Amino acid sequence: MRIDRRRALAAGGAILSTLALPPTLRAQGKPIRIGSTLPLTGPLASLAIIHKVTAEICVENLNKRGGLLGRPVEWVLRDDQSKPELTRTLYEQLITSDKVDLIQSPYATASILAAMGVAQRYNKVLLHTSFGIPKLAKYDMQFQTAGSPFDPENVWPNHIFDAAAKLPKPPKTIAIVTSKFPSVHAISVGAREVLKKRGLTEVLHLEYEFGNRDYGAIASRVKEANPDFLWGGTNGVDPVLMLEAMKKIDYRPPAQVHLFPAPGPMLKMPEAQGSLALTTFESHPPFTDDPAIAQFVKTYAERAQQAGIPYTSVDLQSAIMYAAWQVLEAAVTATRGTDDKAIGAWLKKNEVKTLFGTLRWNGPQNYVEGADLYKIKQLQQGKWVVVHPTQWAAPGAKVV
Amino acid sequence: MRIALAVIAAALIGLPYLGLPAFYESFGYLLLSAIVLATSWNVLSGYSGYFSFGHGAFFGVGVYTTAALAGKLGWNFLWTLPLAALAATVLGVALGAIVFRVRSLRGELFALLTLAITFVLATIALNAVDGGPGIMVTVDMPKIAPTASGVIYLMMLAAAALTLWTAYAMYHSRFGTGLLAIHDDEDVAEVMGVPTYRFKLAAFAISCALAGLAGGIHAIFVSYVTVAETFSIALAVNVVLMSALGGTRHWLGPAVGAIAITVLLYAFTSGNAAVVGRALTGLILIVVIVAMPEGILGQILKRFRDRAPARAQVARPFGNVNNVNTSGEPLLVVRGVAKAFKGVQALASVDLEVRRGEILGLVGPNGSGKSTLINVVSGHHVADAGSILFEGEELVGRPAHRIARAGIARTYQIPRPFPQLTVLQNVALPPMFGQVVMDRARAEEEAWRWLAFTGLDAKAHRFPADLNLHERKFLELARALASRPKLLFLDEVLSGLTPAEMDDALRLIRAIRDQGATIVFVEHVMRAVMELTDRVAVLTYGKAIAEGVPAEVMRHPEVVSAYLGAAHV
Amino acid sequence: MPSATLLGQSVLSGIFIGSLYGLLGLGLSLSWGMLRQVNLAHFALAFLGGYLTFQLSGRLDPFVTLAVVAPLFFLAGMGLHWFLTRFSVSLLNTLLVTFGLTSIIEAGIQWYWTADFHRMENAYAAVRWKVGPLFVSLPDLLTLGFALVLSLGAWAVLRFTDLGKAIRATTEDAPIAAAFGVNEKLLGYLVSGLAAAVAAVAGLCLALNHTLAPVQIYAWMGVVFAAVMMGGLGRPIGPLVAGIVIGVSEALTMAVTNPTWAPLVSFSLLIALLLFRPARF
Repeated sequence: MRIDRRRALAAGGAILSTLALPPTLRAQGKPIRIGSTLPLTGPLASLAIIHKVTAEICVENLNKRGGLLGRPVEWVLRDDQSKPELTRTLYEQLITSDKVDLIQSPYATASILAAMGVAQRYNKVLLHTSFGIPKLAKYDMQFQTAGSPFDPENVWPNHIFDAAAKLPKPPKTIAIVTSKFPSVHAISVGAREVLKKRGLTEVLHLEYEFGNRDYGAIASRVKEANPDFLWGGTNGVDPVLMLEAMKKIDYRPPAQVHLFPAPGPMLKMPEAQGSLALTTFESHPPFTDDPAIAQFVKTYAERAQQAGIPYTSVDLQSAIMYAAWQVLEAAVTATRGTDDKAIGAWLKKNEVKTLFGTLRWNGPQNYVEGADLYKIKQLQQGKWVVVHPTQWAAPGAKVV
Repeated sequence: MRIALAVIAAALIGLPYLGLPAFYESFGYLLLSAIVLATSWNVLSGYSGYFSFGHGAFFGVGVYTTAALAGKLGWNFLWTLPLAALAATVLGVALGAIVFRVRSLRGELFALLTLAITFVLATIALNAVDGGPGIMVTVDMPKIAPTASGVIYLMMLAAAALTLWTAYAMYHSRFGTGLLAIHDDEDVAEVMGVPTYRFKLAAFAISCALAGLAGGIHAIFVSYVTVAETFSIALAVNVVLMSALGGTRHWLGPAVGAIAITVLLYAFTSGNAAVVGRALTGLILIVVIVAMPEGILGQILKRFRDRAPARAQVARPFGNVNNVNTSGEPLLVVRGVAKAFKGVQALASVDLEVRRGEILGLVGPNGSGKSTLINVVSGHHVADAGSILFEGEELVGRPAHRIARAGIARTYQIPRPFPQLTVLQNVALPPMFGQVVMDRARAEEEAWRWLAFTGLDAKAHRFPADLNLHERKFLELARALASRPKLLFLDEVLSGLTPAEMDDALRLIRAIRDQGATIVFVEHVMRAVMELTDRVAVLTYGKAIAEGVPAEVMRHPEVVSAYLGAAHV
Repeated sequence: MPSATLLGQSVLSGIFIGSLYGLLGLGLSLSWGMLRQVNLAHFALAFLGGYLTFQLSGRLDPFVTLAVVAPLFFLAGMGLHWFLTRFSVSLLNTLLVTFGLTSIIEAGIQWYWTADFHRMENAYAAVRWKVGPLFVSLPDLLTLGFALVLSLGAWAVLRFTDLGKAIRATTEDAPIAAAFGVNEKLLGYLVSGLAAAVAAVAGLCLALNHTLAPVQIYAWMGVVFAAVMMGGLGRPIGPLVAGIVIGVSEALTMAVTNPTWAPLVSFSLLIALLLFRPARF
């Protein structure tokens, strides 16, 4: 089995590397056990594999550098089968039965909320990666590692329209087509307010249920509305399905954004070129100026290919998981222990430099209001490049 | 047995207080929730055979009722639970009231309807209640257990106890027997006196209520609900799987299957085994169901049943129940009854009179409408025109089960026993729903008498498939007699019997009349008709052309020509 | 008020997606109606066919792939039928067995191709024609074509050929049909194999028109089941007609009002049809 072979290789590599290191850096002693779940099977499995590969690399790297507090790190991972009720039960198992030292993030809003409840009951710190509705995160010791603002429904539309304003032809009319998937829907609702304040005109507003198969009518309505800019409140493969439906009727939006597309399927589509999207990280300078990150990008590409993942570049999903382990490492090292209360207190007062920016938690509900670490990327000639804000843009990249 | 139950109950209730890691309670919750959902599905679909693919819809209604009331409006969540159950019930009853009225809506159409309802409710919930972002449900738990998980566990334990008790009670009651009969042959059940519409509706209502209750508790367990996760087809399929795996015909079967599947799914949650685990789960499922086609529990019970010796009870002889009244007054008066089927006029305009205490022979060529007449009188079909007075009361338009209650019974030309009920259960059914409504115990006593009467008592615990034709006809007879009908229609009981068996049957029929029943005897075997009947009526082409003493009627010129053609003598 | 073009294009779109429902439902309906086997694994099989088409599309034209995959699936269908008859699996239990099979196939797909989305690049997707103001694309037309040919073909075979009559006889009353010399076993294998081969065709159309992911197996189950039950079990044209009814009603809803209401309209329509004209079914 491919997976077992890879694990064997990884284990072998780890053993060899520990032997190669000078004795002082070798992790030894009782392992620090960190527990989490991911939807390894079920509807969300396509994203879980990215998180899994990333986390495995992070744990390996940690152990190569001597572990946490000089102790080896052991990651206890369980499959929550994309079911929040299982997430809850499994986190309880991890905490009360497996007695892990610390917990890490599951995937997506519903599961994170389930884990958050458990964390609250046992006073554990919960770092989380992919929580879509910040206002629902009411637990005192939850800390996001995605760089999301407290008010994404306000911040992100502004980001996006700022980037859109840099287009050769800045748009005036906007068509909003959004799925009712909880997180993206909230952003699209915000977008409708924001565009009004910016003096733009909404020419169409459509909502479709998540899991819709037929985009023909939607495509026709967008074509008829003839907007300057298509706001796609979409995630996963919806953008591809939508654009294909539009291609069939010989229509291509002059400019568009899709909030959280699966990066791979859009790459080779001619109709998708020029589309904007949200991201925290892309595998090009200035992100990869740090050699450690460049190394990570390289390792990830290898592991992703071995695991059979079609898109082997590190981007948003992988980065937020990488950041979660960076934050964990920083907090544990700084507080010199695995005491959740101390870690929580430390995080609130400090900041952690991650691969896509500096994370802080000193605002409402441990978020920051009005500011974030998200950037806008654009699909240009088959590659995703960050175009806005300019300090994070790929060298020489413009909004085209 | 009682002690074992008490110990188990104590252990289950005491779980949260044992100081075990909290995840035992959460896992216990998952098991109990599965038990509630599977068992509640089964009390409708397993018992009655009306497959619902919409259990997810009613579960979802419960989830969203609690989520909206407790999560959005801030009500005390305990009050929302009965409301969750109520909301699901109201919806179920509304749907069932319409759906069950439509006679041709059986089998897969009911499944389709319940599936469609899931999509409809999901869309309504998404757009009208949820709006998109999901609903957060954070509630204050009453401190009746050390942990929050413990409290929710106890709530679901209560729900599971309620569900299992309901399933058990239904199974052992008239209600349950009626549902099982509906499963096997709904039309016959109705004619035997089972109020099929009411029973189906009640079972549906109970099923929905329990699903709604489970949903309400679930909203609190996950504390954040979205439409996509709640109204999924996965739940609808899973409850079917759990019930089938455990055994759908027993009240405890679904619980066994629920435990098996939940444990199986949980066993493979280790991070390394995820994908392989899924494949293994599928493989195990296949192996188990092939090895145990009746379900795990069903198979175990079957083994016991096959070994258990047939206990034959000593039947008490009976005295006359109905007054032997050979007064000759009209018991059944049929006037101008007509019935057509898609262009074929089966009954043209039938006038007939059946007198109390007599044996009336009903004869006529094939296709003359004899069976149709029986079907119309017993309520199997509704007459297009005419009137049928039984003891002075109009029967046309009455539902069949009320006609059975009035005291009319019939046998079927081709025996239609309930295939999955034992011989005893078959005969015990009419007394539960017939003229004199008896509870199960008395009904079974009554059944034993009639089994002895017809000589079937040795085979009481066998299934109809094990009987030969003669025995099956006598089973029909026993079943028809068990409700002590005032008027009994025998539809060609003698066909297919050997002469010796025929004499047996004739003896029996005379004995029945001596008990006080009035009999209408449809037959082709002329010698039996001439021997047995007091009067004879002749039907041809859907009309009664003669009625009177056998010897005279058989000489009637119209009768002769109907049977033999024109006379050339 | 939406323009005629918009409505027309939406109706077309609904017809095409409906034909895919019909194609997916055809095999399921045949094996359910004729063999009394509810083959849940039909969906997994169709997607497996799609994945295989995708996998081989680098080197072979998708239609050539079909020439390889369809016979393979025919054998698989026969194998499934052998298994179900060898163990005399009852109707209810076929649901369990095929669900287990679905898990196995799904796990296999995920193990080899991962749970991530796969999109088949193909030249056909770019081809489209203009008919008046309306557009028709080649992959859509192919799907409709397949659906029509296979559904009508199955119907014609059942109606007019001796083989079809033998199959229908066996479905109605197997012992009596056997008494008349109909080889029930052989026919069972034939129907099962064909149903699986149709799944292969459906898989090709899925690969041409949609993206593939293991989770999609369950996403299509609900609506196709509805189409199959609506169309009447064992009636080849049923799933196609029902699928188109669902597809068109949803598309029109999406054209005229907020698309998120689409399932409400299509399934309410289904319910209404069932309640007020049940005799049709």
